Amino acid sequence: MTTPERVAIVAAGVVTPIGQDLEAFWSALVTGASGISQIERLEVADLRVQRGGEIKKIGRIKNWRGVPDCRATRLLIAAADDLCAQAAFRPLPLDPTRVAVVVGTALGGVEEGEKALGGDRGRRRLRDALYDAPAWELARWLGARGPVVTVSTACASGATALAVGADLLRSGEADAVVAGGYDALCRFVLRGFNALRSLSRDAVRPFDRRRGGLLLGEAGALGLLMRERDVTGARLGTLRGYGSASDGFHIAAPEPEGRGLERAIRAALADARLTPGDVDFVSAHGTATPLNDRIETAALKRALGPRAYEVPVNSIKGSLGHTMGAAAALEAFMCLLSAQRGLIPPTLNLEEADPECDLDYVPGRARPARPRIMLSTSMGFGGCNGALILEGA
Amino acid sequence: MRAPEVRGLGLLTGGPTPGEGASVLTLERPDRPGDRFRRATRECLLALAAVDAMLEDGKATREAIAGERTALLYVTAAAYGASNRQFIERRGGVVHFAYTAPAVVPAEVAIEFGVTGPYGILIGGAPATLRAIEQAARLLETGTCDRALVLVVEIFEECADLYTTRRRYHRWPLVETAGCLWLEPGAGDLSFQSSRVVRGSSRAGGGERFAAAPVADLGEWLGRSANGPLELSGRWRGEEARLRWSRVRSHAGDSAA
Repeated sequence: MTTPERVAIVAAGVVTPIGQDLEAFWSALVTGASGISQIERLEVADLRVQRGGEIKKIGRIKNWRGVPDCRATRLLIAAADDLCAQAAFRPLPLDPTRVAVVVGTALGGVEEGEKALGGDRGRRRLRDALYDAPAWELARWLGARGPVVTVSTACASGATALAVGADLLRSGEADAVVAGGYDALCRFVLRGFNALRSLSRDAVRPFDRRRGGLLLGEAGALGLLMRERDVTGARLGTLRGYGSASDGFHIAAPEPEGRGLERAIRAALADARLTPGDVDFVSAHGTATPLNDRIETAALKRALGPRAYEVPVNSIKGSLGHTMGAAAALEAFMCLLSAQRGLIPPTLNLEEADPECDLDYVPGRARPARPRIMLSTSMGFGGCNGALILEGA
Repeated sequence: MRAPEVRGLGLLTGGPTPGEGASVLTLERPDRPGDRFRRATRECLLALAAVDAMLEDGKATREAIAGERTALLYVTAAAYGASNRQFIERRGGVVHFAYTAPAVVPAEVAIEFGVTGPYGILIGGAPATLRAIEQAARLLETGTCDRALVLVVEIFEECADLYTTRRRYHRWPLVETAGCLWLEPGAGDLSFQSSRVVRGSSRAGGGERFAAAPVADLGEWLGRSANGPLELSGRWRGEEARLRWSRVRSHAGDSAA
């Protein structure tokens, strides 16, 4: 079996409720800051839960000239602005036709559809309502003229995007890929989760005995991917493997044994040519719904065997909410920063142990550790499961 | 890259109608008491029907595609415009919300047919479908799966006005189509290329094609019992992609190059 071409994650850029660049995001994670607040940008008086991980003002970019008045697009471009600042990637330092864009989203520009159907029939609104519109706006902003791909595997979208980006590099279709995920809070998704009663009135408490559900958040998260042999300077780390699997069980609930996630983890390890014993740290999906955390714990135990009890497992959703299409990319970058900085961010609001969630979830405060190989898991509506294997620089 | 072979193809199309509206596909919603989170939308029903048609074409039973060795790749440009609109306009309730992401279309197929292998969902027009076929070929070549399904569903009736602003780019009328392609390891060669059409060139405007177009083209080609290599192409938002396939179908022995 040949070893696949190694793909480096050279740099990353983010915009999140706890920080609008990678450094601020990291500092907030390790100090246990919370980005959950009363939602102010949207009308929420009719909703049962009115809090979430809202970005109060996208402060990175002062001049939005030429960028559509579309929240989703602006989150993506704000994250790209952070990425470009770190990687000196704008103007593009290489042939634009060799630069690809791959982004994951659960919602695309659906808020623009809401506005259009609410009476704002601007031509742009309807155009931006299409799921793939923000990705093309990002490519235009970057000046990238290579492939532009939008993936939408629900809450696993960010992981899928990083994997597809790596494929474009391995197949030689691109020499650099800007890949990640985004999603914006909007009435559409808040109304839906409100109706499903999946949102918590309490804090988001991943793996806690009292956990009562998730809160939604918004974010953009993008990484610059290149073939490792083409990278001459510093890098954040390496994307070693990816696996996906479908539950084939239920539209809105995970398969009770977590078999789909288990298959995705095994596939990711196989893709990386690694074994469970190589894994040093797990970034869990950890939504804090009663079902997810129990099922995810069971899947980790089966996929990793005894190693599951030996490695730290965290969830950052207590800090910023579930950022949907951005979540998996944010969590991947958090893993690489953990390896680089020698610190694992805590699982915020985890206070009371649940007998069914009996792994080491890093409660309380950040833990000194320098993991080398990391597993990041994602589970989405429709039974989408994804797993990434990452290696620190 | 080694080309996959077509084991079956299911295609449902509304067929072209005059005017600017959408040519609509209709299917009855099956009554499944106690299963309220299933088959809530027309997109899902059409996906299931396309897979059934594919199995019929491949003269196979459902068991042939069940399990973790079957990959499922879904492509759509219209995505969930129709169902999202229903939810936004409060014509759909809680049940509808669970169906507001494109991911539920392949999920319905996975649940109904027991497909539990690798999956992917690409949003875009014809180039995304050609890319999905290439991804399927890669999954087959690396042994990640034994068979791959490429599913496409495009419906427009509920959201045709979303496309009016882009009318000059598309071929009208909007023809609703659902298709599913069953691929297995083959013997020929496959190559995929994509490029961006230069703005301002005579080729830049018009001719954009939705995700179902390459599957429909392939269906038409197979229907003619054509021989020789096949080239599928398509354009979307200025990206033009081409897929060259030296040997498309060998199990029936009628289309081998």
